[in-house]
Amino acid sequence: MGKSRIALVWSLAAAVGMLTAGCGQGLLGGGSEEGGDKGPIALGMLVPQSGSEAAIGPYMKNAAQLAVDEINGKGGVLGRKLELKVADDACDAQTAVAGANKLVTEGVKVSVGGYCSGATLPTLPVFGKANIPMIIPAANSQELVDQHLKHVFLINGTGTQQATAAMAWITKQGAKNVALVHDNTSYSKDIAVRTQKLLDEQGGPETAILEAVTPKESDYSANIHNIMAKNPDFVYWTGYFQEGGLIIRQLRQAGYKGAIMVGDGSVSEKIAEIAGAEAAEGVYATMTQTPETLQGAETWIADYTKKFGSPPGPYSNQAYDAVRLAAEAVKNAGSTDGAKVISALEAVNGFAMFSGPLKFTPDHTLSTGGFQILVVKSGKFALQDALK
Amino acid sequence: MSQLIWNGLFVGSFYALVALGYSMVYGIMKLLNFAHGDIYMLGAFTGFAVLGAVGGVSPGMALPVLLGVLVVTMAVTGLSGVVLERVAYRPLRNAPRLSLLITAVGASFALEYGMRAAAGADPQVYPLRLGGTAVQVLGARVTLQQIALIIVAVALMAGLNLLVTRTREGRAMRAIALDPRTSALMGINVNAVISRTFFLGSALAGAAGVMAGAYYGKIDFLMGFLIGLKAFTSAVIGGIGNIPGTMLGGLLLGLLESFGTYWLGGEWRDVFAFGVLILFLSVRPTGLLGERVTERV
Repeated sequence: MGKSRIALVWSLAAAVGMLTAGCGQGLLGGGSEEGGDKGPIALGMLVPQSGSEAAIGPYMKNAAQLAVDEINGKGGVLGRKLELKVADDACDAQTAVAGANKLVTEGVKVSVGGYCSGATLPTLPVFGKANIPMIIPAANSQELVDQHLKHVFLINGTGTQQATAAMAWITKQGAKNVALVHDNTSYSKDIAVRTQKLLDEQGGPETAILEAVTPKESDYSANIHNIMAKNPDFVYWTGYFQEGGLIIRQLRQAGYKGAIMVGDGSVSEKIAEIAGAEAAEGVYATMTQTPETLQGAETWIADYTKKFGSPPGPYSNQAYDAVRLAAEAVKNAGSTDGAKVISALEAVNGFAMFSGPLKFTPDHTLSTGGFQILVVKSGKFALQDALK
Repeated sequence: MSQLIWNGLFVGSFYALVALGYSMVYGIMKLLNFAHGDIYMLGAFTGFAVLGAVGGVSPGMALPVLLGVLVVTMAVTGLSGVVLERVAYRPLRNAPRLSLLITAVGASFALEYGMRAAAGADPQVYPLRLGGTAVQVLGARVTLQQIALIIVAVALMAGLNLLVTRTREGRAMRAIALDPRTSALMGINVNAVISRTFFLGSALAGAAGVMAGAYYGKIDFLMGFLIGLKAFTSAVIGGIGNIPGTMLGGLLLGLLESFGTYWLGGEWRDVFAFGVLILFLSVRPTGLLGERVTERV
C-alpha cells in the first residue's frame, strides 16, 4: 500500500523530468551542437547496473568500453575521440526514463544501450525528442519495432525471429503438445504469444496452454498444476532466469518428464544453479550469438579477458558491435547530426558484425543472423543447433 | 483437486507464519509494520550466511542442520526486530499514525537496499536444498520435506498461541492490546513487552525466510516485498490482531490463490487474491475471526 503511493510520486517526478528535459532540448539542442564540435563524441548507454538484471550491465558496459578504446586507439572518429557515458536503468521504466534524461542533458550523440525491453520502451521518446539515434544492442521486444520510429535500430534478433527459431526447434524435436509460459512483461509475453500464433497456424504441434506467472514469487505450484493438467511434452518459458530456475525445478518436482526450453532472458548460468544441476541438465534455450557460441571470436575474447580480468558474458558482443556501428555511422555521415547519422545507419550495407554482415530491414531490424539453440550441459549453456 | 488443496495449504503456511508478526504488532501497537516482509528476507539471508559458515553438509544431515540454522536465524531476526522497533518506531510511538506508517515504509526500503549493498543484487542460491522424492497421498504429490516444513510451521504457530493465551507474558500482551496506559499503571513494563512482541513476530518471519530459502533455493533482496503484502492480506482476511484468525487467513489466502489460478488462469492469480482483500476491507473489515476492536491481541 505504502509502496504504491511512493511509486506514484516517483512516476510523477519522472513525468515532470521528462517534460522539462523535452522542453529544454528544443531550446538548447542547436546551441550545444555548434559549441561541441571539438570535444569527444559522447555515446550514451543505458544498462541495468542494479535491480534484478544487474549482472548483465558490466558485460555490456565493458564490451562497449573495449570498442571505444579500440576506436580511439586508431585515432577516433572524424578526428574526435569517443567517450562512453553509462547510466543505470535498473531494468525499470521509471529509472530508465530518468537515466535517459540524464544522458540527453549530458549531450550524448548516439545511444548504444538498452537491455530490458520494458525499460527501453519508455526511453524511445526521450531520445527521439532530442533527435538522438538509438542502436539497441539487446532489448528486442516487437513493441520496440512496431512503433516504426525512425531513430530506433535493433541489432539483436527480435521477438518474431525468436518465436520462429523456437517453432523450428519444437517441430524438429517432434513435440506434439506445447505449454507456453511467460511472466506478463512486454518482452516475455510477446515471444510467447508469437510462438502461440505459429503453433496455431501450422499443422504440427499444438498449444497446450498459454500460462502467465507473477514474477518475483517463489512458489509457482499453482501455475505448474495448470500446466501439468494439460499434459504437455514441451514447455517453453520466455521470461527471465530468476523465475525460470524456479519453474524448471518445480516442474521436475511435479514429475514433468518432457523437454523444457527457455528464452534468451533466461540464458545465464544462474538458472542452472537455481534449478539445481540435475533439473537443469538438457534444458534448451533460444539465444542470439553469445561469446561462447561465436565462431572466430577467439582474439576478441582474449582481448576482453585481458582488459577486464574476466571473460565476456551475454550481450557483450552486441554491445561491442553497437559502439562500432555507431562510430561507422558517424564517420559515414561526416557529422554527429541525428538525422544524418540515421540516414547513414539506414544506408549501412555489409558492415561486419558478430551476427554476420549487417543490413537493416525497412523496420530497422536485422535482415540476417538471429537465433540459435543452446542446451545446458553440466550447468553451462553450449551450442546445440545453429538453425542454419 | 487434492493437489490444489495441498499446494494451497503449503504456500498458505508460509503466509501464515509471516502474517503472525504483522498481526501481533498491529494488535498491540496499531502499527502496520511494512518492514515485516523484509525481516523475512533478512531471515533468508541470515540462514544463507550461517549455512555458508557451517560448510559442507551430507544429505542425511540436512534436516537436523537446517533446524539448527533455523534456531540461530530466529534469534538473529528476532533481535533485528527488537532493534527495528527501538530505532524506528519507539521514538514515534506518540506521533500521529501516518508518521509511523511512513517510517515503516522507510525501514522497509532501508532493509532492502541495505541488503543489496551488503550481499549484492544478484540472487543467491542456498547451498542446502530440500528436494526429495514425492509420494502420492490421496492423489496429491507430497514430499516428506514439505511435510516436515509444515510440521515446523504448525509447531511454531501452536507455540505462539500457547504463549499468548497461557502465560504471564501473553497476558501482559493482551492487557496492552486492550489499553496500554492502564497496563502501565498496573505495573506492566510496556516497552519491554512490545520489544518481546517484535522479537517473537520477527523470529517467526525469519523462520519462514529460512524455510523458503531451503525449499525454493533462490533468495534475493526484494523477496520480502510481495510476501509482505500477501501476509498483510492474510491478516486482514483472518482478522488482524487475532492470532488464530491470522493463521486461518494465511491458509485461506494460499487456497484462494491455488484455486484462483486453476479457475481463472495464472495471470489472474494476484487480481483474485487482492480482490478478496478489497472485498474483506469493505464488507468485513474485522476479518473472519476478528472480534470487537477492544479485544484485539
